Amino acid sequence: MNTLKKITKIREINSLFFLIALFAIVGMVNPAFLSPTTLFNCFNDSVVFTLLATGIAFVILTGEIDVSIGATLGLSAAISSSLLRDGSSWFIAVAAGLLSGVVVGLINGFGVSTLGIPSLIFTLGTNGVVRGMIYVYTGGAWVENLPANFTKLSQIKLFGNLTIFYLVVLLAVIAAHIALTHTRRGRYFIAVGDNAAGATLVGIPAKRTKIIAYVLCGVLASVAGIIYSSRIGFITPTAGNGYEMKAIAACVLGGISLSGGLGSLLGASIGAVIMSSVSRILVFLGFSSDYDNTITGILLITIVVIDALTQNRAATKSRHERLAARTGPAHAKKGGAAK
Amino acid sequence: MKHSPLDRFKKGVKSWETVLLGLLFAEFVIFGIANPKFLMPRVLLGSVNDIISICIISLFVTFVMITGGIDIQAGSIVGLSSIVIGVTWQDFGLNIWVAAILAMAVAALCGALSGFFVAYCGVQPMVVTLGGSFLYSGIALLVSNISATASYKGISGFPDNFTQIAKFKLFGVIPSQLLIFAALTVIAYLLLHKSKFGRKVFLVGVNARAAEYSGINSRFITLLTYVLSGVSASIAGIVLTAYLGTAKSDIGVTFTLPIITAVVLGGTLSTGGKGSVIGTALAALVIGVLRFGLPLSFKVSNQYLDIPVGLLLLVVVVGRSIAANPTLLRKLGIGKAKGQKNKA
Repeated sequence: MNTLKKITKIREINSLFFLIALFAIVGMVNPAFLSPTTLFNCFNDSVVFTLLATGIAFVILTGEIDVSIGATLGLSAAISSSLLRDGSSWFIAVAAGLLSGVVVGLINGFGVSTLGIPSLIFTLGTNGVVRGMIYVYTGGAWVENLPANFTKLSQIKLFGNLTIFYLVVLLAVIAAHIALTHTRRGRYFIAVGDNAAGATLVGIPAKRTKIIAYVLCGVLASVAGIIYSSRIGFITPTAGNGYEMKAIAACVLGGISLSGGLGSLLGASIGAVIMSSVSRILVFLGFSSDYDNTITGILLITIVVIDALTQNRAATKSRHERLAARTGPAHAKKGGAAK
Repeated sequence: MKHSPLDRFKKGVKSWETVLLGLLFAEFVIFGIANPKFLMPRVLLGSVNDIISICIISLFVTFVMITGGIDIQAGSIVGLSSIVIGVTWQDFGLNIWVAAILAMAVAALCGALSGFFVAYCGVQPMVVTLGGSFLYSGIALLVSNISATASYKGISGFPDNFTQIAKFKLFGVIPSQLLIFAALTVIAYLLLHKSKFGRKVFLVGVNARAAEYSGINSRFITLLTYVLSGVSASIAGIVLTAYLGTAKSDIGVTFTLPIITAVVLGGTLSTGGKGSVIGTALAALVIGVLRFGLPLSFKVSNQYLDIPVGLLLLVVVVGRSIAANPTLLRKLGIGKAKGQKNKA
């Protein structure tokens, strides 16, 4: 348990170091990147991905996946912004948006956890249905002319240049992170992802935990949708298309293992900043932003390959150690010599 | 009855294939009654262009999923192959057929790279191919920037004998795409169900470690399945480029959902070890006919088509999981009783 904790800690610190190193290197090449405005903008612009990545992190930590969050973002954005445009109160608009996230999350949780359907397959299905619902709801049209005081909300800044959205999201992520690592119920998520059968044996409601993870994921995706509409100011039926893949990539960059049970919410939010800064970094390095996907792909593959190799090596090493402990000092020496 | 487990397994697959065949038949009847125009050979066979890529690729993604993997990069390899053909032909002056073969080689290399990471580094297939989908679509965009033509326009003006790939019609009705699909289905069938390689693919999916201990190079087999799916994506790219007459870097980005849907609907287990080429082929046709028939016969807008396809996938996986697990059936029985109470 102690080693597991250590690894978890190291993982998110690694991604933080990676972020700092990345920014430092870009700053060396082009000092303009290190101006406070640019740096703050890197964080401000990551707000939607931070929410998506944190949400999907709950699901990934329990060992499942959710590829319907891009569509959930689009649906929530379409619902809440069309309500706002038509003059309903903020409370109703936001509540309706959040409700859509809860419903999608419950359906996903029911299918994956209760019915036991492989999560990628099931959420691919709901992704199609939810994406189609956006077209049905909007009739394929854009949602435009949002109230000015709603879109202005995304420009309110505190403490220099940090937008209020990012600040609130960051505080929420930190709070959730602490809840996940320091409370009993919070630790359920990681326990279920690490070993679902074992968690059930010690009395953790594994199925319910997974459903809760999906609901949280859906809710955070719908919050991301509302913030998305405030930032962008108009909603197309394809809003959020492909964001699910970027959110998963952000989690991986943030040190979360897709096999579950390893990683943290803070890691996810750090990954989201790296992920959404790639195109800005490219501009400061003098490349065209056409390199965006290539760099993201290379980053992602490099990180997961290194991660897998180090984990394999650690597993082999601990196997050797166990063997040495069982077979006595003579063999241990041999094993050591063989190395 | 020497191979009784295998026979039983074959029977199971066959019964699912019968269900799919029935579904396909039902679609023809329903769409045909709703709009007799649907059954006109020219209309029906003309629709093949929209679905052919998904049909071709899903055949070989089946191989990947039988080994327990998944391939979500095939769509971006379609775009990459298309743009490689365009750029090497127009800007490098290669013969169009050489360009097409080069595109297939590039796709095979892409598949091999991802397959290598999955098989030899032990990274999860989902993550590798996710990274691959970013990487290859990114490279496709960069390749399109080499060209003198602006990337959003696409490269066109291919020679006639190349576009003939997609324009040729056997007996004046059967489009060449259908012939290509049929040929590939036969090849995939022989490869998966009648060859040593196919047997090994199944074994790796059932238990990679056991396969390894029984002398199968399971890592290499896994790698090969990704190469196969990459090459099939490039074939789809070639056919699509020939049909459109334009090479673009972003064709194929929307294929991921339909491809996986077709493979799963075809009866392939996403956990590996079970699946069939015929099932995938039939499922791809079921989806294709659904996407074609709903707009034609029921005036469903094209934009809504994700809903029926998604629902079909959900219904099938839910149904199959309930059928496989009797305790769930009981639970659902309780659910039903509750529903009736609410109604009353």
